[in-house]
Amino acid sequence: MKVIYLITLIFLSIFFTTTEISLVYADDLKSPTFEIQMGTINITGGAKSSTTYKLTDTVGQTFQGQFNSAGYVILAGFQYINTLIPFSFKISDLDINFGSLVPGIPSLLSNTLTVTTGSAFGYAVKAIEDHPLRRSDGVTTIPDTSCDLATPCLQADANVWGDNARFGFGYNMSGTDVNIADFVNSTYYRPFPVENIDQPAIVMSKGGIATSSAATVTYKVNISGSQAAGTYQNAIQFIAIPAF
Amino acid sequence: MTKKIFITILLCVLTFAILLPKNISAANYGMSISPPLLRVHIKPGRSITQVYKIENLSNNDKTLVAAIVPFTESDISGNPVLNPKATAPWLSYFSLANSEIKFNKPFPISAGASEQLILSLSVPETAPLKDIYATLIVSTYVNSVDQTFQGSALRATIGSNLLITVSSQAYPDTILRIEGFYPAKGTVIKIGELYFADSITPLKFTATVNNEGSFTAETKGVFRVTSGKGKPVYLEGILPVNVIAKSQRQLLNTNGNSFEFSPSLSNIGSHQLSLEIKTDNSNTTSTINIIFFPLKLSLGLLISLLLIISIVRVTSKTPEKST
Repeated sequence: MKVIYLITLIFLSIFFTTTEISLVYADDLKSPTFEIQMGTINITGGAKSSTTYKLTDTVGQTFQGQFNSAGYVILAGFQYINTLIPFSFKISDLDINFGSLVPGIPSLLSNTLTVTTGSAFGYAVKAIEDHPLRRSDGVTTIPDTSCDLATPCLQADANVWGDNARFGFGYNMSGTDVNIADFVNSTYYRPFPVENIDQPAIVMSKGGIATSSAATVTYKVNISGSQAAGTYQNAIQFIAIPAF
Repeated sequence: MTKKIFITILLCVLTFAILLPKNISAANYGMSISPPLLRVHIKPGRSITQVYKIENLSNNDKTLVAAIVPFTESDISGNPVLNPKATAPWLSYFSLANSEIKFNKPFPISAGASEQLILSLSVPETAPLKDIYATLIVSTYVNSVDQTFQGSALRATIGSNLLITVSSQAYPDTILRIEGFYPAKGTVIKIGELYFADSITPLKFTATVNNEGSFTAETKGVFRVTSGKGKPVYLEGILPVNVIAKSQRQLLNTNGNSFEFSPSLSNIGSHQLSLEIKTDNSNTTSTINIIFFPLKLSLGLLISLLLIISIVRVTSKTPEKST
């Protein structure tokens, strides 16, 4: 019986103690992420901060005033200062030259995509091919991969392609800002979407600022013994666009 | 003897010349564009110009092509859904004021050099009052590919978005609606419309916003937590992103992450969590109620007490050793 009294007493003490604390410190608005943004146009402005707040402001002619007098307002600076940092995109190698292909032995080549954006809105890099790898006759192709029979892949859904008896052309992604839930490891591949048929597929993306985000693209081609001899080519376009 | 020395030196020079690595650089690509976003409010009958700077960051000279591509949709993260073959009547509002660079015509840019694209937007008096969305894209231009090359020739496109509001008023009507404001699964217990959560476990929240209007709106606002007595206990800014007309965006905090509230021991009882967005001519709020209680703490204390009681009982029952 004494034990029950003891437990009840402890619980009541904790409850009233913690409830009392909340009443005393109710005006605690300190937060390391607290931020207010308010915008007008030009004259002065910038970022102010302390350990407990960040404030970005501008002072000057109002949006309404500017619009009424000039007939337009352009938001490309000041409050939008971060968006003035250039958006940049690099590809380490533009020529993915497989050279001679050996049936049943996959050929792998890779290059690196690098993105920098000062915008807090983020970015996406998308990829699309003009057509599957195709011979100069315009008819014979190396098909885009569908990965292993037991693990079929799609243009937006990578899957395992490890069987050397499965032929085709595809790509793997690894590195920063890559969807690793889709490209789980280096055995996961996708086929490229095809221009005028499919939408480009996102290969890299981020929702915030990216500083030299780098991802490796590994291109894989594997042909069968019955693949017609010849030179197979296509063009792959990488489209890097910032978000808004 | 002199002849032998001469031949030896010659052979050495030739050997080094052949074997030493040469500086072979693969054709690479590097381009930057600024500004990456242009937001314009403009009245019909007015014109503006905006200078874009593009820079060739690669070690090769490049031939590029600039174009304006319209879009009408974006994904939940604000990435435009581009269709390079899309067309729109308002594309004629745009032109390049450069003397030598025109849309859809190739132009050269040297390695390491920069170029300015002077974009002109002239909105006719009769232009319909609505938003127009486009991306200024700059692509590598490839005329032909080496016929002996087996594989993929890569092309690159970089872009900058233009969100243009054609309106006779500075603040055209916007209609935003917050949807799907929920705590992350597995962190709360839901009974009816009430959520119950542990008072010392951080909670994450997801939310989206729909723009049901015809003009772009910005998500300026706050994520606020108030106690049952209306006292504010936490405040966090909403990342101000542009929500284009008839689209949906994910709402994030100013760090680009999900909203998060880490209650303390003092946060016990009913709390109201709200997302408040205030545009220039409308407000929208979404609210949920959560009751915080010291679940983990209580369980910990209970287990500790049970352990202490068990130890006390076991100790008191231990027979004394006979001497």
